[in-house]
Order: sequence, then C-alpha cells, then structure tokens
Amino acid sequence: MSDSQVIKFSLLVTGNPASDQSASTALQFCEAALAAGHHISGVFFYLDGVLTASHLISPASDEVNLPDRWAALAIQHHFPLEVCVSASLRRGIVNEIEAKHLDLQHYNLKTPFVLSGLGQLAELSARCDRLIQF
Amino acid sequence: MEKKIGIVNRQAPHGRSDAREALDLTLALSAYNESLSVFFIGDGVYQLLKKHQADSILQKDFQPMLKMFDLYDIEQVYVCASSLALRNISVEQLVIKTELLSTDEIKQHLAEQDQLMSF
Repeated sequence: MSDSQVIKFSLLVTGNPASDQSASTALQFCEAALAAGHHISGVFFYLDGVLTASHLISPASDEVNLPDRWAALAIQHHFPLEVCVSASLRRGIVNEIEAKHLDLQHYNLKTPFVLSGLGQLAELSARCDRLIQF
Repeated sequence: MEKKIGIVNRQAPHGRSDAREALDLTLALSAYNESLSVFFIGDGVYQLLKKHQADSILQKDFQPMLKMFDLYDIEQVYVCASSLALRNISVEQLVIKTELLSTDEIKQHLAEQDQLMSF
C-alpha cells in the first residue's frame, strides 16, 4: 500500500467490555485496519469503555480477554491506549499515582493503558484522518 | 484547517450517564476546538428541559453546566424541532438558547461535520 492510501484512524471506545459487543468490534476493527496496512493513531476509552483498562478483568477460559488483546495489539503496533481519568476514577479504574493521591489501598490500571484527560481525545481527533466511535 | 466536530446527544438525561459525560466531553473539547457543533435529537431534548430535580434520584444536576456553553464560546447548539414537537416541549421550556432545525436541516448540518461523536 502506498503512503497516500494509508489512513490514520483514531478510535473512541465507549462500550462496556463485559456487556457491549461494540467493545469487541472496536478491537476487531483495529486488527482489520492494521492488517490492511492502515495506521492507528491511538484509542481513547470513555464512558463504560474505561472498564477495559482493568487488569482485574478475568473472563472464563473459553471467553475473550479484551484487555489482554488490546494490550498485546497496542504494544505490537506502538499506539497509545488512553483512558479518561475522570470517567475512570468514578468507575474504580485507578493507577498507582491516583491511588496514592486518593489514599486508596489498591490500583488496577493495566499496562500499557494510561490515564489521561479529554485533551488527549482532542489530540487524537486532530491528528487522524478518521475518528471511529464504538 | 480545524476539523468540524459534531457532538450528538440522543439519550434522556438521567437513565444512563451518557448525557452528563457527553457534556463533560463537550466542554473539554471546546478548549481545543472552536468548531464544535452540539446537537440534541430524540430523547436528547429532555436534557434541555427546565427544572430537573436530579438530586432526588441521586444523580448530579448537570443543567447549570449547560449554561457554560456561552462562556466556552460553544455557539452552534442545535435542537431537532420535530423531536421537541413529538414530546410536546416548547422552546420556552428549554434551559438554554438553541437553534431549532428541521430534520432535513439536521441531516445537512451532520453531513458538514468532519467527525461525529454520538451519545
């Protein structure tokens, strides 16, 4: 594929990983776009989509582990998994820094997901050719 | 050239958190993008209906934040006229000033956006 045909996608994922199929479709879209030679600028998780970033998600062995799949794909293809911090904190998704700050005993943000602000969504929106919401 | 972003609100205000979190997103994006358009369509028009008593159902009253559109220079705020009519809501009952659009005009405005986010 020539450079001019490569599309830069950013994704906005708002679906709950346990109850909305859209969360799985987002992953499949990413895999398909990458397989076709396109570029993923980054994925922004918002609303119930932020629950995807928990390393405590433990589906049965015959079910898909979405956080594991996202983490592997992002590491392999070097794109960021940005998770809205305010949507996360109200849903119990916490990183080490926030846990210290809020005096919580535990944190559960999975690597390589990162907590970030809505400004990062603005950034992803600005530097992509297409923004796709799931 | 800055991208035109449309934010579409289609959900009733308090059944899910979509409305409130879409509003957070709208206000945050307005700091980075001056070409925002905000649409209220279908049950989304209930978000604008005056006199919510959100605290009595343990929800956050986000309507005062709608009034910050002015302060944040979010000027393109559109409401679907037929969605209002179907729900017997008049413009005077809305908490902020908006522009009423017909279904065809809404379609046209949506088509003009570079990106859409829908809640």
